[in-house]
Amino acid sequence: MQLTYLEAIRQGIWEEMDRDPSVFCLGEDIGIYGGAFKVTDGFIDRFGPERVIDTPIAESAIVGAAFGASLTGMRPVAEFQFMDFIGCAFNQISNMVAKTHYLWGAPAPLVLRGPSGGYVHGGPFHSQNPEMWFVHNPGLKVICPATPYDAKGLIKAAIRDNNPCIFFEHKYLYRRIKGEVPADDYVVPIGKANIVREGRDLSIVTYAAMVHTALEAAEILAKENIDLEILDLRTVSPLDREAIAATVKKTNKVIILHEHSRTGGLAGEIAAIINEEVFDDLDGPIVRITGLDSAVPFSPPQEHHYLPKVEDVVRESRRLKAY
Amino acid sequence: MAIKKKNSKHSPNGSRRHNGASPATTIDLRTYSIPDLRLEHPDLSVRQSTEKDGHVRYEVTGNLDAPVPPIRDSKYLSKQQCIEIYRYMLLNRKMEVALENLYKQGKVVGGVYFGLGQEACSCASAYALDKDDWFAPMIRNQGSLLVRGFAARDTMMQYMAKADSPTRGRDGTSHFGDIEKRNMVSPISMLGDLIPVLSGVALGARLQGRNVAVMTYIGDGGQSTGVTYEGINFAAVQNLGLVLFIESNLWAYSTPSEMQYRCKDLAERAIGYGIPGVIVDGTDACQVYDAAREAVERAHAGEGPTLIEAKMMRMKGHAIHDAASYVPKPMFDFWKKRDPIARFDNYLVKEKKWLSSKENAELISEVERIIEAEREIAINSPMPEPESAEGGVYCEDGCHDIKPKYGTPKVKKGTGGYKETEAAVHLK
Ligand SMILES: Cc1ncc(C[n+]2csc(CCOP(=O)(O)OP(=O)(O)O)c2C)c(N)n1
Ligand SMILES: [Mg+2]
Repeated sequence: MQLTYLEAIRQGIWEEMDRDPSVFCLGEDIGIYGGAFKVTDGFIDRFGPERVIDTPIAESAIVGAAFGASLTGMRPVAEFQFMDFIGCAFNQISNMVAKTHYLWGAPAPLVLRGPSGGYVHGGPFHSQNPEMWFVHNPGLKVICPATPYDAKGLIKAAIRDNNPCIFFEHKYLYRRIKGEVPADDYVVPIGKANIVREGRDLSIVTYAAMVHTALEAAEILAKENIDLEILDLRTVSPLDREAIAATVKKTNKVIILHEHSRTGGLAGEIAAIINEEVFDDLDGPIVRITGLDSAVPFSPPQEHHYLPKVEDVVRESRRLKAY
Repeated sequence: MAIKKKNSKHSPNGSRRHNGASPATTIDLRTYSIPDLRLEHPDLSVRQSTEKDGHVRYEVTGNLDAPVPPIRDSKYLSKQQCIEIYRYMLLNRKMEVALENLYKQGKVVGGVYFGLGQEACSCASAYALDKDDWFAPMIRNQGSLLVRGFAARDTMMQYMAKADSPTRGRDGTSHFGDIEKRNMVSPISMLGDLIPVLSGVALGARLQGRNVAVMTYIGDGGQSTGVTYEGINFAAVQNLGLVLFIESNLWAYSTPSEMQYRCKDLAERAIGYGIPGVIVDGTDACQVYDAAREAVERAHAGEGPTLIEAKMMRMKGHAIHDAASYVPKPMFDFWKKRDPIARFDNYLVKEKKWLSSKENAELISEVERIIEAEREIAINSPMPEPESAEGGVYCEDGCHDIKPKYGTPKVKKGTGGYKETEAAVHLK
């Protein structure tokens, strides 16, 4: 079955609600309206207003209530209208939810999900990729799928997981990409990266929308006999250290590509992992391609300038290949 | 305790403005009542004043010699129950005396927080909960923990960061919880964040077909946080059985309540949330219990949240390091006369004659023996191994079998089958 990225997520949540009565959804405008991006479209008719709850505009209350419900054994799925607003609930997530199992042994099986990312001219408050705020919070799992198959398998895995999971849906991908999704029930394991393209010359370590950017660049570079290997991390916390080490061991050269800004970004952490695990296998410098160290600007030419592009991957790959 | 709404008569022109009319004549006057169970209404107020020496200090005005009011007879409590609450209050205080001594002996890691003067509020509130209800204490509600069945050693070991403490050394004070037996959510330091969490507990239970009461506390300072508003409003909109005690103890660290909020009584905030609010004397265990019990009953009946403001004073500094020299001394004198244990003692022994002096003395020494035994156990617990700092960040390898606590949620399925969504969205 060919599904859009959005439809895959929607189907994943729907099937989990169908399967498990302890799953319920809460968030702003998710009921009759079906959510700002329609991920929960039609859910209220099927599952009723008790399990598809429209909340006040109160992100801390949404996370707090989801957490409280999870303590009674429920599996809440809370929607952020945009992931940019997750900062409003930061304390609940960082100090309440993330620390709970470590400190007092209570599991918090909840999912916080919503659209993130740029390329849609959403401006500084509707384009961010705030996953790093949570990567630096032990106790959370942070998931950023790139394909419909992974999106469905990972949202199901997140709902079934006994830990708090933050699920970043890339809004640029929502209706732009389609992919094969099996009709049978399946999950994609959290914490496992995936080689989406095998290659021998250099590795691109990336995730979410940037996987598609890397794939486009790989097509162009293939004509020049530069063979990219692309590792899709799928989960950014916990990171799949083995997969990162393995691809570097194989190609000996690596570019880390992400959409969020550079300083304190994921590339720094991955570079450190490479340094710790496979330093001797490197035949060139670790290269970073990232967003700029600024807010995401609104105007399309500026946003284009801010965000990583296919040309950037092509240029840096040529340079690194020649190193 | 329902909100009474009284609408004043509409003006002949109705409430709509029209050209040339004076708008002021058409305002609807709505009055809501906030029941006040207190038998006295202290009129003390604190303000900053610059003294001749050039220092800015707090100064108190009001009738500092007002007589101590009697305990208000409870509508519900039996003699036996009153004595039981009194016993918990004694345990609460004696445990805190023991903690203070442990601190002085250098056995405590960090500081110690006290609920001195607030024992009635902690103990009588938690006493109103049923077994299946939930609660979460704040830092001064060490008495609530005792009422809910935790041992004094638990709190003592938390303060000493011992290996056998409920968090195995990972956190201190009353920061621990139990979702299996005693239904307690662990507090975090950030004030106000428990309120939406407890509301969520009630939401989870309701989805499983149970209306539980969920009780927590917030200070006159902590209630200034935004998450307090979000949490109460969420409970109000969803009609969840939140029982929120505002511990109006006049101080938030060194800041007097006059600098936290402008309304007369914090219970009035209930009006804005559209929920019932009530004021009690936080040093009168019977008033605290009666208000808590009625709120718990409302929660069990699915009638939604209640805000209870308990007025009292924090009778020590913020924590053990703080001598509270900023508090005008006459305030301590005023509230010392309203000590919740001394008043309850007097009520039980002298007024009601439910306890003889001998029985009272026996009760006190029994409580002292218990605390001493608990202290011994707590002291003898080892410190945790350094490596025990590791692990447990995630729930994994089947460490928890998660299932709905009150039974499988009832599921109603509508006719709407799954079909792909095609609706328009913004930011394509
Ligand atoms: C959100 C937040 N800000 C600051 C603090 C630091 N702090 C801890 S207790 C306290 C005073 C609290 O006063 P109040 O809420 O009135 O409670 P009380 O100590 O009087 O019981 C402060 C400022 C905190 N714990 N949480
Ligand atoms: Mg206070």
